[in-house]
Amino acid sequence: MVDFLKLLQNENMKIYRRAATWVMFALVVGIPVMIALAVYLFTPDDLPSNWFITMIASNIVINLVAIFTVVKAADAVAGEFAQGTIKLLLIRPWNRSVILLSKYLALLLFGLIMTVAAFAASFITGVAFFGYAGSPEDMGRNSPWTFMLLWYLYQFISIVVIATLAFMMSAVFRSGGLTIGLSIFLLFAGNIITSILMPLNKPFVKYILFPHLQLTTYLDGGRGPLPQYPMTLEFSLAVLGAYFLVFVAIAWLVFSRRDVS
Amino acid sequence: MSQSPVVRLQDVTKKIGSRTIIDRISLEVYPGEVFGFLGPNGSGKTTTIRMMVGLMSITAGDILIDGHSIRREFPKAIRHVGAIVENPELYRYLTGYQNLVHFARMVPGISRSRIDEVVRLVGMESRIHDKVKRYSLGMRQRLGVAQAVLHRPKLLVLDEPTNGLDPAGIRELRDYLRKLAREEGTAVFVSSHLLSEMELMCDRVAILQKGQVVDIRSIRREPETSETVQDDVWFDVDSPEEALRALDGLGKGRIEDGRLTVTADRRTVADINRRLVEAGISVYGIRIKTKSLEDQFLEVTRGESVG
Repeated sequence: MVDFLKLLQNENMKIYRRAATWVMFALVVGIPVMIALAVYLFTPDDLPSNWFITMIASNIVINLVAIFTVVKAADAVAGEFAQGTIKLLLIRPWNRSVILLSKYLALLLFGLIMTVAAFAASFITGVAFFGYAGSPEDMGRNSPWTFMLLWYLYQFISIVVIATLAFMMSAVFRSGGLTIGLSIFLLFAGNIITSILMPLNKPFVKYILFPHLQLTTYLDGGRGPLPQYPMTLEFSLAVLGAYFLVFVAIAWLVFSRRDVS
Repeated sequence: MSQSPVVRLQDVTKKIGSRTIIDRISLEVYPGEVFGFLGPNGSGKTTTIRMMVGLMSITAGDILIDGHSIRREFPKAIRHVGAIVENPELYRYLTGYQNLVHFARMVPGISRSRIDEVVRLVGMESRIHDKVKRYSLGMRQRLGVAQAVLHRPKLLVLDEPTNGLDPAGIRELRDYLRKLAREEGTAVFVSSHLLSEMELMCDRVAILQKGQVVDIRSIRREPETSETVQDDVWFDVDSPEEALRALDGLGKGRIEDGRLTVTADRRTVADINRRLVEAGISVYGIRIKTKSLEDQFLEVTRGESVG
Protein backbone atom coordinates (compact mmCIF):
# COMPACT_ATOMS: atom_id res chain seq x y z
CA MET A 1 0.00 0.00 0.00
CA VAL A 2 2.77 2.39 0.99
CA ASP A 3 4.55 1.29 -2.14
CA PHE A 4 1.52 2.09 -4.28
CA LEU A 5 1.31 5.56 -2.73
CA LYS A 6 4.85 6.11 -3.98
CA LEU A 7 3.65 5.42 -7.52
CA LEU A 8 0.90 7.98 -6.98
CA GLN A 9 3.50 10.40 -5.63
CA ASN A 10 5.49 9.91 -8.85
CA GLU A 11 2.50 10.64 -11.05
CA ASN A 12 1.69 13.73 -9.00
CA MET A 13 5.28 14.91 -9.35
CA LYS A 14 4.98 14.58 -13.12
CA ILE A 15 1.81 16.69 -13.09
CA TYR A 16 2.74 19.44 -10.64
CA ARG A 17 6.40 19.89 -11.64
CA ARG A 18 5.29 21.25 -14.98
CA ALA A 19 4.81 24.94 -15.61
CA ALA A 20 1.75 24.29 -17.80
CA THR A 21 -0.12 22.92 -14.77
CA TRP A 22 0.38 26.15 -12.85
CA VAL A 23 -0.75 28.22 -15.83
CA MET A 24 -3.95 26.17 -15.75
CA PHE A 25 -4.45 26.91 -12.07
CA ALA A 26 -3.73 30.60 -12.63
CA LEU A 27 -6.47 30.74 -15.27
CA VAL A 28 -9.02 28.85 -13.18
CA VAL A 29 -8.39 31.18 -10.25
CA GLY A 30 -7.78 34.37 -12.25
CA ILE A 31 -10.86 34.33 -14.48
CA PRO A 32 -13.42 34.56 -11.63
CA VAL A 33 -11.46 37.50 -10.24
CA MET A 34 -11.60 39.28 -13.59
CA ILE A 35 -15.31 38.55 -14.02
CA ALA A 36 -16.16 39.86 -10.54
CA LEU A 37 -13.99 42.92 -11.12
CA ALA A 38 -15.63 43.67 -14.48
CA VAL A 39 -19.17 43.35 -13.09
CA TYR A 40 -18.22 45.45 -10.08
CA LEU A 41 -16.77 48.24 -12.22
CA PHE A 42 -19.40 48.38 -14.96
CA THR A 43 -22.63 47.99 -12.97
CA PRO A 44 -22.51 50.97 -10.59
CA ASP A 45 -25.97 50.51 -9.10
CA ASP A 46 -28.19 47.51 -8.41
CA LEU A 47 -25.25 45.17 -7.78
CA PRO A 48 -26.00 41.46 -8.09
CA SER A 49 -25.56 39.08 -5.16
CA ASN A 50 -22.33 37.19 -4.58
CA TRP A 51 -24.10 33.97 -5.62
CA PHE A 52 -25.04 35.40 -8.99
CA ILE A 53 -21.38 36.19 -9.67
CA THR A 54 -20.29 32.79 -8.42
CA MET A 55 -22.75 31.17 -10.84
CA ILE A 56 -21.57 33.19 -13.85
CA ALA A 57 -17.90 32.59 -13.08
CA SER A 58 -18.48 28.90 -12.39
CA ASN A 59 -20.24 28.39 -15.72
CA ILE A 60 -17.17 29.69 -17.50
CA VAL A 61 -14.34 28.18 -15.49
CA ILE A 62 -15.93 24.72 -15.21
CA ASN A 63 -15.47 24.42 -18.99
CA LEU A 64 -11.81 25.29 -18.52
CA VAL A 65 -11.53 22.68 -15.78
CA ALA A 66 -13.04 20.12 -18.15
CA ILE A 67 -10.63 21.07 -20.96
CA PHE A 68 -7.57 21.07 -18.69
CA THR A 69 -8.49 17.73 -17.17
CA VAL A 70 -8.97 16.28 -20.64
CA VAL A 71 -5.57 17.67 -21.68
CA LYS A 72 -3.94 16.01 -18.66
CA ALA A 73 -5.81 12.79 -19.36
CA ALA A 74 -4.62 12.80 -22.96
CA ASP A 75 -1.06 13.38 -21.79
CA ALA A 76 -1.16 10.75 -19.05
CA VAL A 77 -0.24 7.74 -21.18
CA ALA A 78 0.51 9.28 -24.56
CA GLY A 79 3.03 11.67 -23.00
CA GLU A 80 5.12 8.77 -21.71
CA PHE A 81 5.11 7.26 -25.18
CA ALA A 82 5.98 10.56 -26.84
CA GLN A 83 8.97 11.09 -24.52
CA GLY A 84 10.02 7.46 -24.68
CA THR A 85 9.94 7.27 -20.88
CA ILE A 86 7.33 4.52 -21.06
CA LYS A 87 10.21 2.12 -21.68
CA LEU A 88 11.78 3.03 -18.34
CA LEU A 89 8.46 3.23 -16.51
CA LEU A 90 7.25 -0.26 -17.41
CA ILE A 91 10.46 -2.14 -16.56
CA ARG A 92 9.90 -1.83 -12.82
CA PRO A 93 8.51 -4.53 -10.51
CA TRP A 94 4.88 -3.48 -11.03
CA ASN A 95 2.23 -4.90 -13.29
CA ARG A 96 1.14 -2.54 -16.01
CA SER A 97 -2.41 -2.39 -14.68
CA VAL A 98 -1.16 -0.97 -11.36
CA ILE A 99 0.94 1.65 -13.09
CA LEU A 100 -2.10 2.64 -15.15
CA LEU A 101 -4.17 2.84 -11.97
CA SER A 102 -1.66 5.22 -10.39
CA LYS A 103 -1.89 7.43 -13.45
CA TYR A 104 -5.68 7.34 -13.43
CA LEU A 105 -5.98 8.20 -9.74
CA ALA A 106 -3.50 11.06 -10.10
CA LEU A 107 -5.63 12.34 -12.97
CA LEU A 108 -8.86 12.17 -10.94
CA LEU A 109 -7.10 13.96 -8.09
CA PHE A 110 -6.03 16.69 -10.51
CA GLY A 111 -9.63 17.05 -11.77
CA LEU A 112 -10.91 17.22 -8.20
CA ILE A 113 -8.38 19.83 -7.13
CA MET A 114 -9.18 21.91 -10.21
CA THR A 115 -12.93 21.67 -9.54
CA VAL A 116 -12.47 22.68 -5.90
CA ALA A 117 -10.19 25.53 -6.97
CA ALA A 118 -12.84 26.71 -9.46
CA PHE A 119 -15.51 26.74 -6.77
CA ALA A 120 -13.29 28.38 -4.18
CA ALA A 121 -12.16 31.11 -6.58
CA SER A 122 -15.70 31.78 -7.83
CA PHE A 123 -17.15 31.88 -4.34
CA ILE A 124 -14.43 33.91 -2.64
CA THR A 125 -14.31 36.58 -5.33
CA GLY A 126 -18.11 36.83 -5.26
CA VAL A 127 -18.09 37.49 -1.53
CA ALA A 128 -15.06 39.76 -1.73
CA PHE A 129 -16.64 42.09 -4.25
CA PHE A 130 -20.36 41.88 -3.44
CA GLY A 131 -20.64 40.80 0.20
CA TYR A 132 -22.34 37.65 1.45
CA ALA A 133 -26.06 37.14 0.96
CA GLY A 134 -27.64 34.31 2.96
CA SER A 135 -30.76 33.98 0.78
CA PRO A 136 -30.25 35.96 -2.40
CA GLU A 137 -33.30 37.10 -4.40
CA ASP A 138 -31.67 36.97 -7.81
CA MET A 139 -31.03 33.27 -7.50
CA GLY A 140 -34.64 32.45 -6.64
CA ARG A 141 -33.60 29.52 -4.51
CA ASN A 142 -33.89 28.82 -0.87
CA SER A 143 -30.46 27.39 -0.29
CA PRO A 144 -27.77 28.68 -2.62
CA TRP A 145 -25.25 26.40 -0.87
CA THR A 146 -27.17 23.24 -1.69
CA PHE A 147 -27.64 24.35 -5.25
CA MET A 148 -24.01 25.32 -5.86
CA LEU A 149 -22.56 22.23 -4.23
CA LEU A 150 -24.88 19.92 -6.15
CA TRP A 151 -24.09 21.84 -9.34
CA TYR A 152 -20.37 21.27 -8.79
CA LEU A 153 -20.91 17.62 -7.88
CA TYR A 154 -22.83 17.00 -11.12
CA GLN A 155 -20.22 18.86 -13.14
CA PHE A 156 -17.45 16.86 -11.51
CA ILE A 157 -19.18 13.58 -12.40
CA SER A 158 -19.33 14.70 -16.04
CA ILE A 159 -15.66 15.71 -15.95
CA VAL A 160 -14.72 12.28 -14.60
CA VAL A 161 -16.57 10.56 -17.45
CA ILE A 162 -15.11 12.75 -20.21
CA ALA A 163 -11.63 12.54 -18.66
CA THR A 164 -11.94 8.75 -18.57
CA LEU A 165 -12.84 8.81 -22.26
CA ALA A 166 -9.74 10.90 -22.97
CA PHE A 167 -7.62 8.66 -20.74
CA MET A 168 -8.82 5.61 -22.67
CA MET A 169 -8.00 7.24 -26.00
CA SER A 170 -4.58 8.19 -24.63
CA ALA A 171 -3.90 4.54 -23.81
CA VAL A 172 -5.27 3.29 -27.14
CA PHE A 173 -3.85 5.87 -29.59
CA ARG A 174 -0.65 6.64 -27.65
CA SER A 175 -0.73 10.04 -29.31
CA GLY A 176 -1.39 13.10 -27.20
CA GLY A 177 -2.25 15.39 -30.09
CA LEU A 178 -4.85 13.07 -31.56
CA THR A 179 -6.36 12.40 -28.13
CA ILE A 180 -6.54 16.06 -27.10
CA GLY A 181 -8.03 17.04 -30.46
CA LEU A 182 -10.61 14.30 -30.45
CA SER A 183 -11.60 14.73 -26.79
CA ILE A 184 -12.04 18.47 -26.99
CA PHE A 185 -13.94 18.07 -30.25
CA LEU A 186 -16.27 15.60 -28.53
CA LEU A 187 -16.56 17.89 -25.53
CA PHE A 188 -17.91 20.71 -27.69
CA ALA A 189 -19.50 18.75 -30.49
CA GLY A 190 -21.43 16.62 -27.99
CA ASN A 191 -24.22 19.16 -27.70
CA ILE A 192 -24.33 19.71 -31.44
CA ILE A 193 -24.47 15.98 -32.09
CA THR A 194 -27.29 15.70 -29.58
CA SER A 195 -29.31 18.52 -31.14
CA ILE A 196 -28.86 17.00 -34.61
CA LEU A 197 -30.05 13.62 -33.39
CA MET A 198 -32.93 14.90 -31.31
CA PRO A 199 -35.42 15.65 -34.14
CA LEU A 200 -34.97 12.11 -35.37
CA ASN A 201 -37.39 11.17 -32.64
CA LYS A 202 -35.71 7.84 -32.06
CA PRO A 203 -35.48 6.48 -28.53
CA PHE A 204 -31.83 5.53 -28.97
CA VAL A 205 -31.01 9.21 -28.43
CA LYS A 206 -31.55 8.49 -24.75
CA TYR A 207 -28.54 6.17 -24.76
CA ILE A 208 -26.06 8.52 -26.39
CA LEU A 209 -23.36 9.68 -23.99
CA PHE A 210 -23.35 13.41 -24.57
CA PRO A 211 -26.76 14.58 -23.33
CA HIS A 212 -26.12 12.86 -20.02
CA LEU A 213 -23.06 14.98 -19.40
CA GLN A 214 -25.52 17.84 -18.75
CA LEU A 215 -26.47 16.52 -15.32
CA THR A 216 -27.17 20.03 -14.02
CA THR A 217 -30.40 19.99 -16.00
CA TYR A 218 -31.82 17.88 -13.17
CA LEU A 219 -31.30 20.65 -10.62
CA ASP A 220 -34.40 22.41 -9.29
CA GLY A 221 -36.66 19.54 -10.28
CA GLY A 222 -35.64 19.50 -13.96
CA ARG A 223 -36.44 16.48 -16.12
CA GLY A 224 -33.06 16.14 -17.78
CA PRO A 225 -31.22 17.28 -20.88
CA LEU A 226 -33.71 16.07 -23.52
CA PRO A 227 -37.01 17.97 -23.35
CA GLN A 228 -38.98 15.47 -25.42
CA TYR A 229 -37.66 12.54 -23.39
CA PRO A 230 -38.10 13.30 -19.70
CA MET A 231 -35.65 11.18 -17.75
CA THR A 232 -34.48 10.77 -14.18
CA LEU A 233 -31.12 11.54 -12.62
CA GLU A 234 -30.76 7.85 -11.82
CA PHE A 235 -31.20 6.94 -15.47
CA SER A 236 -28.57 9.43 -16.59
CA LEU A 237 -26.15 8.21 -13.93
CA ALA A 238 -26.72 4.63 -15.06
CA VAL A 239 -25.95 5.53 -18.68
CA LEU A 240 -22.83 7.44 -17.64
CA GLY A 241 -21.80 4.53 -15.43
CA ALA A 242 -22.14 2.08 -18.31
CA TYR A 243 -20.00 4.22 -20.61
CA PHE A 244 -17.49 4.72 -17.79
CA LEU A 245 -17.08 0.98 -17.32
CA VAL A 246 -16.56 0.45 -21.05
CA PHE A 247 -13.90 3.19 -21.20
CA VAL A 248 -12.07 1.78 -18.19
CA ALA A 249 -12.20 -1.79 -19.54
CA ILE A 250 -10.81 -0.79 -22.94
CA ALA A 251 -8.06 1.37 -21.41
CA TRP A 252 -6.86 -1.39 -19.09
CA LEU A 253 -7.09 -4.18 -21.64
CA VAL A 254 -5.18 -2.29 -24.30
CA PHE A 255 -2.53 -0.89 -21.97
CA SER A 256 -1.83 -4.20 -20.24
CA ARG A 257 -1.48 -6.26 -23.38
CA ARG A 258 -0.03 -4.29 -26.21
CA ASP A 259 3.64 -4.37 -27.15
CA VAL A 260 5.68 -1.27 -26.50
CA SER A 261 7.76 -0.61 -29.57
CA MET B 1 30.68 -22.33 -15.89
CA SER B 2 29.16 -24.05 -12.90
CA GLN B 3 27.10 -21.07 -11.73
CA SER B 4 23.47 -20.84 -12.71
CA PRO B 5 22.76 -18.24 -15.38
CA VAL B 6 21.25 -14.88 -14.48
CA VAL B 7 19.24 -14.86 -17.66
CA ARG B 8 18.25 -17.75 -19.85
CA LEU B 9 16.53 -17.40 -23.21
CA GLN B 10 14.79 -20.61 -24.23
CA ASP B 11 13.78 -20.91 -27.88
CA VAL B 12 12.49 -17.36 -27.82
CA THR B 13 10.38 -16.58 -30.87
CA LYS B 14 8.58 -13.42 -31.86
CA LYS B 15 6.10 -13.30 -34.70
CA ILE B 16 4.34 -10.17 -35.83
CA GLY B 17 1.54 -11.23 -38.13
CA SER B 18 3.02 -13.94 -40.30
CA ARG B 19 6.55 -12.53 -40.11
CA THR B 20 9.02 -14.21 -37.80
CA ILE B 21 11.11 -11.43 -36.29
CA ILE B 22 13.00 -13.58 -33.81
CA ASP B 23 13.50 -17.25 -34.52
CA ARG B 24 14.13 -19.64 -31.60
CA ILE B 25 16.93 -17.77 -29.84
CA SER B 26 18.51 -19.60 -26.94
CA LEU B 27 21.35 -18.26 -24.85
CA GLU B 28 22.48 -17.87 -21.27
CA VAL B 29 24.34 -15.10 -19.50
CA TYR B 30 26.22 -15.78 -16.29
CA PRO B 31 27.08 -13.62 -13.26
CA GLY B 32 30.12 -11.42 -13.79
CA GLU B 33 30.01 -11.81 -17.53
CA VAL B 34 29.78 -9.07 -20.15
CA PHE B 35 27.80 -10.56 -22.98
CA GLY B 36 27.67 -8.92 -26.38
CA PHE B 37 24.71 -9.12 -28.69
CA LEU B 38 26.00 -8.29 -32.11
CA GLY B 39 24.14 -7.88 -35.34
CA PRO B 40 23.45 -5.53 -38.19
CA ASN B 41 20.59 -3.07 -37.95
CA GLY B 42 17.27 -4.80 -38.35
CA SER B 43 18.55 -8.19 -37.22
CA GLY B 44 16.31 -8.19 -34.13
CA LYS B 45 18.57 -6.95 -31.33
CA THR B 46 16.15 -4.39 -29.95
CA THR B 47 13.17 -6.74 -30.31
CA THR B 48 14.99 -9.36 -28.25
CA ILE B 49 15.87 -6.81 -25.60
CA ARG B 50 12.28 -5.59 -25.46
CA MET B 51 11.15 -9.15 -24.82
CA MET B 52 13.82 -9.59 -22.13
CA VAL B 53 12.46 -6.60 -20.19
CA GLY B 54 8.79 -7.39 -20.79
CA LEU B 55 7.99 -4.50 -23.11
CA MET B 56 7.06 -6.96 -25.84
CA SER B 57 5.21 -10.22 -25.55
CA ILE B 58 6.95 -13.47 -26.44
CA THR B 59 5.22 -15.54 -29.12
CA ALA B 60 6.87 -18.82 -28.11
CA GLY B 61 9.59 -19.89 -25.73
CA ASP B 62 10.41 -18.16 -22.46
CA ILE B 63 12.93 -15.90 -20.79
CA LEU B 64 13.97 -16.67 -17.23
CA ILE B 65 15.65 -14.02 -15.13
CA ASP B 66 17.10 -15.30 -11.87
CA GLY B 67 14.84 -18.30 -12.41
CA HIS B 68 11.63 -16.29 -12.80
CA SER B 69 9.68 -16.24 -16.05
CA ILE B 70 9.30 -12.75 -17.51
CA ARG B 71 5.92 -13.86 -18.90
CA ARG B 72 4.35 -15.37 -15.82
CA GLU B 73 6.16 -13.70 -12.91
CA PHE B 74 6.92 -10.31 -14.37
CA PRO B 75 7.44 -8.29 -11.16
CA LYS B 76 9.72 -10.95 -9.65
CA ALA B 77 11.75 -11.33 -12.82
CA ILE B 78 12.11 -7.64 -13.63
CA ARG B 79 13.07 -6.85 -10.03
CA HIS B 80 16.62 -7.96 -10.87
CA VAL B 81 16.92 -6.11 -14.15
CA GLY B 82 18.23 -2.65 -14.91
CA ALA B 83 18.01 -1.46 -18.48
CA ILE B 84 18.34 1.26 -21.03
CA VAL B 85 16.26 0.44 -24.10
CA GLU B 86 17.42 2.44 -27.11
CA ASN B 87 18.13 6.01 -26.07
CA PRO B 88 18.15 7.00 -22.41
CA GLU B 89 14.89 8.94 -22.54
CA LEU B 90 14.16 10.56 -19.21
CA TYR B 91 11.68 13.18 -18.01
CA ARG B 92 13.06 16.31 -19.59
CA TYR B 93 11.11 18.73 -17.39
CA LEU B 94 12.43 17.12 -14.21
CA THR B 95 15.95 17.43 -12.85
CA GLY B 96 18.34 14.51 -13.04
CA TYR B 97 17.89 13.98 -9.32
CA GLN B 98 14.08 14.02 -9.53
CA ASN B 99 14.31 11.42 -12.29
CA LEU B 100 16.36 9.17 -10.03
CA VAL B 101 13.97 9.71 -7.11
CA HIS B 102 11.13 8.79 -9.46
CA PHE B 103 12.64 5.46 -10.42
CA ALA B 104 13.94 4.77 -6.90
CA ARG B 105 10.39 5.04 -5.53
CA MET B 106 9.29 2.24 -7.83
CA VAL B 107 11.54 -0.34 -6.18
CA PRO B 108 11.36 -0.98 -2.43
CA GLY B 109 14.42 -0.32 -0.33
CA ILE B 110 16.37 2.31 -2.24
CA SER B 111 17.57 4.94 0.19
CA ARG B 112 18.53 8.54 -0.49
CA SER B 113 22.13 7.66 0.28
CA ARG B 114 22.05 4.99 -2.44
CA ILE B 115 20.83 7.65 -4.90
CA ASP B 116 23.68 9.94 -3.86
CA GLU B 117 26.13 7.06 -4.19
CA VAL B 118 24.98 6.34 -7.75
CA VAL B 119 25.17 10.03 -8.65
CA ARG B 120 28.83 10.01 -7.55
CA LEU B 121 29.42 6.75 -9.37
CA VAL B 122 28.41 8.24 -12.72
CA GLY B 123 30.18 11.51 -11.94
CA MET B 124 27.13 13.77 -12.12
CA GLU B 125 27.37 15.56 -8.76
CA SER B 126 27.73 19.02 -10.25
CA ARG B 127 24.81 18.83 -12.68
CA ILE B 128 22.37 16.45 -11.02
CA HIS B 129 20.01 19.25 -9.96
CA ASP B 130 19.75 20.69 -13.48
CA LYS B 131 16.79 19.86 -15.65
CA VAL B 132 17.40 16.97 -18.01
CA LYS B 133 16.51 19.13 -21.03
CA ARG B 134 19.77 21.00 -20.39
CA TYR B 135 21.87 17.84 -20.51
CA SER B 136 24.07 16.74 -23.38
CA LEU B 137 23.53 13.29 -24.83
CA GLY B 138 26.55 12.03 -22.93
CA MET B 139 25.10 13.25 -19.64
CA ARG B 140 21.72 11.72 -20.40
CA GLN B 141 23.57 8.48 -21.09
CA ARG B 142 25.18 8.69 -17.64
CA LEU B 143 21.85 9.40 -16.02
CA GLY B 144 20.44 6.47 -17.96
CA VAL B 145 23.13 4.22 -16.48
CA ALA B 146 22.39 5.67 -13.03
CA GLN B 147 18.69 4.79 -13.17
CA ALA B 148 19.57 1.33 -14.45
CA VAL B 149 21.92 0.45 -11.56
CA LEU B 150 20.02 2.17 -8.70
CA HIS B 151 18.52 -1.08 -7.40
CA ARG B 152 21.76 -3.11 -7.83
CA PRO B 153 20.36 -5.36 -10.57
CA LYS B 154 21.77 -8.79 -11.22
CA LEU B 155 21.28 -8.23 -14.92
CA LEU B 156 22.07 -4.98 -16.67
CA VAL B 157 20.67 -4.69 -20.20
CA LEU B 158 22.01 -1.95 -22.43
CA ASP B 159 20.80 -1.38 -25.97
CA GLU B 160 23.47 0.27 -28.15
CA PRO B 161 24.98 2.06 -25.13
CA THR B 162 27.81 3.69 -27.03
CA ASN B 163 25.55 5.50 -29.48
CA GLY B 164 26.28 9.19 -29.39
CA LEU B 165 29.17 8.91 -26.95
CA ASP B 166 32.56 10.40 -27.72
CA PRO B 167 35.62 8.11 -27.55
CA ALA B 168 36.39 9.12 -23.98
CA GLY B 169 32.81 8.43 -22.96
CA ILE B 170 32.88 5.03 -24.65
CA ARG B 171 36.07 4.11 -22.85
CA GLU B 172 34.67 5.27 -19.52
CA LEU B 173 31.49 3.25 -20.04
CA ARG B 174 33.46 0.18 -21.05
CA ASP B 175 35.66 0.41 -17.96
CA TYR B 176 32.63 0.92 -15.76
CA LEU B 177 30.76 -2.07 -17.18
CA ARG B 178 33.77 -4.34 -16.81
CA LYS B 179 34.24 -3.13 -13.24
CA LEU B 180 30.57 -3.75 -12.45
CA ALA B 181 30.82 -7.27 -13.82
CA ARG B 182 34.08 -8.00 -12.02
CA GLU B 183 33.38 -6.42 -8.63
CA GLU B 184 29.63 -6.82 -8.19
CA GLY B 185 29.15 -9.94 -10.27
CA THR B 186 26.57 -8.23 -12.42
CA ALA B 187 25.71 -9.92 -15.68
CA VAL B 188 25.88 -7.28 -18.40
CA PHE B 189 24.02 -7.78 -21.67
CA VAL B 190 25.05 -5.25 -24.32
CA SER B 191 23.77 -4.95 -27.86
CA SER B 192 25.72 -3.21 -30.56
CA HIS B 193 26.53 -3.14 -34.24
CA LEU B 194 30.01 -1.82 -33.44
CA LEU B 195 32.25 -4.85 -33.71
CA SER B 196 35.49 -3.40 -32.48
CA GLU B 197 33.74 -1.98 -29.45
CA MET B 198 32.30 -5.38 -28.58
CA GLU B 199 35.72 -6.97 -28.90
CA LEU B 200 37.06 -4.67 -26.22
CA MET B 201 34.06 -4.85 -23.92
CA CYS B 202 32.75 -8.39 -23.92
CA ASP B 203 33.68 -11.82 -22.67
CA ARG B 204 31.35 -13.59 -25.05
CA VAL B 205 29.48 -12.48 -28.11
CA ALA B 206 26.38 -13.81 -29.85
CA ILE B 207 26.05 -12.90 -33.49
CA LEU B 208 22.53 -12.30 -34.64
CA GLN B 209 21.39 -12.37 -38.21
CA LYS B 210 17.83 -12.10 -39.48
CA GLY B 211 16.42 -13.00 -36.09
CA GLN B 212 18.61 -16.04 -35.54
CA VAL B 213 21.70 -16.51 -33.42
CA VAL B 214 24.22 -17.80 -35.94
CA ASP B 215 27.15 -18.04 -33.56
CA ILE B 216 28.13 -17.61 -29.93
CA ARG B 217 31.83 -17.39 -29.16
CA SER B 218 34.25 -16.35 -26.47
CA ILE B 219 36.56 -13.47 -27.06
CA ARG B 220 40.15 -14.39 -26.42
CA ARG B 221 41.28 -11.84 -23.93
CA GLU B 222 44.90 -12.81 -23.15
CA PRO B 223 47.26 -13.54 -26.01
CA GLU B 224 47.89 -17.30 -26.31
CA THR B 225 51.28 -18.19 -24.89
CA SER B 226 51.09 -21.94 -25.18
CA GLU B 227 54.07 -23.40 -26.97
CA THR B 228 52.04 -25.96 -28.85
CA VAL B 229 49.32 -23.79 -30.38
CA GLN B 230 49.64 -23.62 -34.13
CA ASP B 231 48.78 -20.33 -35.76
CA ASP B 232 48.69 -19.15 -39.32
CA VAL B 233 51.54 -16.68 -39.54
CA TRP B 234 52.28 -14.17 -42.28
CA PHE B 235 55.87 -13.32 -43.18
CA ASP B 236 56.35 -10.00 -44.92
CA VAL B 237 59.22 -10.56 -47.37
CA ASP B 238 60.25 -9.23 -50.78
CA SER B 239 59.93 -12.52 -52.64
CA PRO B 240 57.54 -15.06 -51.08
CA GLU B 241 58.47 -17.81 -53.59
CA GLU B 242 62.18 -17.53 -52.84
CA ALA B 243 61.49 -17.49 -49.11
CA LEU B 244 59.28 -20.57 -49.36
CA ARG B 245 62.12 -22.43 -51.09
CA ALA B 246 64.53 -21.25 -48.38
CA LEU B 247 62.28 -22.74 -45.68
CA ASP B 248 62.97 -26.18 -47.06
CA GLY B 249 59.99 -27.81 -45.44
CA LEU B 250 60.22 -26.08 -42.06
CA GLY B 251 56.65 -25.44 -40.91
CA LYS B 252 53.71 -25.88 -43.25
CA GLY B 253 54.56 -23.12 -45.67
CA ARG B 254 52.50 -21.95 -48.65
CA ILE B 255 51.72 -18.85 -50.65
CA GLU B 256 48.34 -17.29 -49.87
CA ASP B 257 47.16 -14.15 -51.66
CA GLY B 258 50.74 -13.52 -52.70
CA ARG B 259 51.99 -13.71 -49.14
CA LEU B 260 54.11 -16.32 -47.42
CA THR B 261 51.89 -18.06 -44.89
CA VAL B 262 53.13 -20.68 -42.46
CA THR B 263 51.20 -22.76 -39.95
CA ALA B 264 53.54 -23.13 -37.00
CA ASP B 265 53.93 -22.85 -33.23
CA ARG B 266 55.90 -20.06 -31.57
CA ARG B 267 59.26 -21.79 -31.51
CA THR B 268 59.06 -22.80 -35.16
CA VAL B 269 58.20 -19.23 -36.12
CA ALA B 270 61.42 -18.08 -34.53
CA ASP B 271 63.35 -20.84 -36.33
CA ILE B 272 61.82 -19.84 -39.66
CA ASN B 273 62.79 -16.26 -39.11
CA ARG B 274 66.39 -17.22 -38.33
CA ARG B 275 66.60 -19.39 -41.43
CA LEU B 276 65.21 -16.68 -43.67
CA VAL B 277 67.67 -14.14 -42.34
CA GLU B 278 70.55 -16.57 -42.72
CA ALA B 279 69.47 -17.10 -46.33
CA GLY B 280 69.86 -13.38 -46.89
CA ILE B 281 66.11 -12.65 -47.07
CA SER B 282 64.90 -9.47 -45.39
CA VAL B 283 61.94 -10.06 -43.08
CA TYR B 284 59.95 -6.85 -42.70
CA GLY B 285 57.25 -8.22 -40.43
CA ILE B 286 55.76 -11.33 -38.85
CA ARG B 287 52.06 -11.28 -38.04
CA ILE B 288 49.68 -13.85 -36.59
CA LYS B 289 46.74 -14.08 -38.91
CA THR B 290 44.08 -14.20 -36.17
CA LYS B 291 40.67 -13.48 -37.46
CA SER B 292 39.36 -10.39 -35.78
CA LEU B 293 35.78 -10.41 -34.67
CA GLU B 294 35.07 -8.14 -37.58
CA ASP B 295 36.32 -10.74 -40.06
CA GLN B 296 34.29 -13.38 -38.32
CA PHE B 297 31.26 -11.15 -38.22
CA LEU B 298 31.49 -10.26 -41.88
CA GLU B 299 32.10 -13.88 -42.74
CA VAL B 300 29.01 -14.96 -40.87
CA THR B 301 26.78 -12.24 -42.22
CA ARG B 302 28.31 -12.04 -45.67
CA GLY B 303 26.07 -11.23 -48.57
CA GLU B 304 23.35 -9.78 -46.41
CA SER B 305 22.03 -6.43 -47.46
CA VAL B 306 22.08 -4.40 -44.29
CA GLY B 307 18.85 -2.54 -43.76
